[in-house]
Amino acid sequence: MYSLKLHALCPVLAALPIAASLAAGATVSGRVLGTDGQGIAQAVVFVQSPSDAETKVSGATATATMDQINKTFVPGVLPIVVGTQVRFPNRDQIRHHVYSFSRTKTFELPLYKGEGAPPVLFDKVGVVKVGCNIHDWMSAIILVLPTPHFAMTDADGRFKLTGLPPGPYTLAAWHAQSEEKVENTEQRVQVVGTDLEITFHLTLAPAKPRPALRGTRWDQ
Amino acid sequence: MSAVFAVYRLILLVSCSVVPLQAWAQYDVEPEDRVWLRALLDLRVVRGGAAPSWTDHGPGKTRYGGDSTQDGFERVTRFVLSQLAIEVGASLPGDVRAQVQVNVQPDIADDYTPWLTEAYLRKEWGEEPDGWGLQAGVMTVPFSLEHTGPAWSPQYTISASALDSWLWEELNLAGAEGEWWHATQNGLRWDVVLGAGYGPDQLGRLVALRGWAIGDGVSGVNGDLPLPNGTRMDTFNERDHRPALYTWITLGDADERAALKLGLLDNLGDQDTAGVWHTRLAVVGTVLHPHPRVDFIAEYLRGEAHVYNNSNDSSLRAFYALLSLHHQRQRFSVRYDDFRVSDLDGGHSTREDGHAITAAYLVEWALRHRIAFEYVWLDSNRPQAAVPEPSQNGWQLSYRFRY
Repeated sequence: MYSLKLHALCPVLAALPIAASLAAGATVSGRVLGTDGQGIAQAVVFVQSPSDAETKVSGATATATMDQINKTFVPGVLPIVVGTQVRFPNRDQIRHHVYSFSRTKTFELPLYKGEGAPPVLFDKVGVVKVGCNIHDWMSAIILVLPTPHFAMTDADGRFKLTGLPPGPYTLAAWHAQSEEKVENTEQRVQVVGTDLEITFHLTLAPAKPRPALRGTRWDQ
Repeated sequence: MSAVFAVYRLILLVSCSVVPLQAWAQYDVEPEDRVWLRALLDLRVVRGGAAPSWTDHGPGKTRYGGDSTQDGFERVTRFVLSQLAIEVGASLPGDVRAQVQVNVQPDIADDYTPWLTEAYLRKEWGEEPDGWGLQAGVMTVPFSLEHTGPAWSPQYTISASALDSWLWEELNLAGAEGEWWHATQNGLRWDVVLGAGYGPDQLGRLVALRGWAIGDGVSGVNGDLPLPNGTRMDTFNERDHRPALYTWITLGDADERAALKLGLLDNLGDQDTAGVWHTRLAVVGTVLHPHPRVDFIAEYLRGEAHVYNNSNDSSLRAFYALLSLHHQRQRFSVRYDDFRVSDLDGGHSTREDGHAITAAYLVEWALRHRIAFEYVWLDSNRPQAAVPEPSQNGWQLSYRFRY
């Protein structure tokens, strides 16, 4: 957390942050566009560095859910604020074995059905890849963010961050297939008055998951 | 003061340039590996029956047995490397998947030579409800209902049933198979595998000459297996240039609570070619999950093995029923085995009948580690055995690490 606080000072010290005139509780909206100018769905726009206490971690008791439906994690990308407890209910009639070896969070929920698995606390910021030890092709990402100010883009690539208190912010855009480093998407804004609209540009790599084995010879 | 302030500014600048990099790096998505490596290491403390195991050319029916001394057979406790399996996989262009597995099993191979257990290319089309796949390379048939663990190890116990042990001991082939799967609107799922391959021209020889055994060794195309007469037989032995044909049909419900399985194999062995065994077999099985924590498996095999210039024609039968209960990381399994070999030509008798009960307790943690204890009560009778068979009972304590 100390590093985040230091980082939060950086935009303040920055020479010329983009200034906007926004009122308290203002909205920052916009689009995330690909190289073809089309909107990118399932991108996450988030506040990386808050500037006041209201944007600091307050979600110690926050909960979120990632279901397993028809041998698929739903949603496939789940953004949460650090400190959130995530439940993994298995809506299928078959058993799943949910796990992650990611550095951000390592956990496993051995074979279960229904809602029997205990919630998992995500207490560190970063990307967590989640899989099923039984069904090799099942995968999802939990994006653990430092502040509760984040939004996922819709099918047109649109997003809306609401309720931002006045102050300077560093915003960034993330996508699971983005070839851009997140730091290269960084935009600094000063929320002081009216609403603001900004655009992010990402280059996506084609999705190439490991070929699955769905037949008799499943990956063991 | 100006110097102190300069230092403070320097620290601040460094903080602004370094700390954000650390903060941003955590959003990198771990790349999907195009090549992956997996390994399984299985170390055991074992105490089998008094007779030396079949792996030492003895009459013992389990993988680990005792020693032969001047005073007779003697039970011994050993610390052994039971298995080192290495799997390498790769995602090739065109979504073709390549997979290779080698196994080191010093007791069965008689040295540390790696055996090539499988090496194949596979391509699939479609998705979970409907699709089909093609696979070509070195493999075994998918008839075992127990070898569903890492590196094709038994999932429910340390040792597989006599039926499934034999399938993985003696059946290797190089060929191709196609698979089609389909989920119907009324909630059923069909899965049909059709395959053909070369290599198992002596399939049946081991079980006819040795009888059934209980273990977890897996063979390889470059491997050879010990026989009671002190010699060894190649597991991959193509002599007549006729392919073995097989099919594996599964009918199950979409919720995977119950599945019926039927397997047929005929190696089409040419009896006019020296050393060729003509073996055909049928396997029926069921897998039931009546409760999320309960697995029940039953499988029955019936087959015949013929070799015309030697009096070892045999009828093969084996059956087992396995009940396994699991809760989180713990699993308890109990299995009953019944097996027999009937002599068909009245020559050198291959007759055997026996049964076994296996109980196993397994605990896994952190996905990579497992400790398991297993006890096998085994009673078999081979009238033509060179030596009387003492008690076959034995236990194993296994630690397994999965990378």
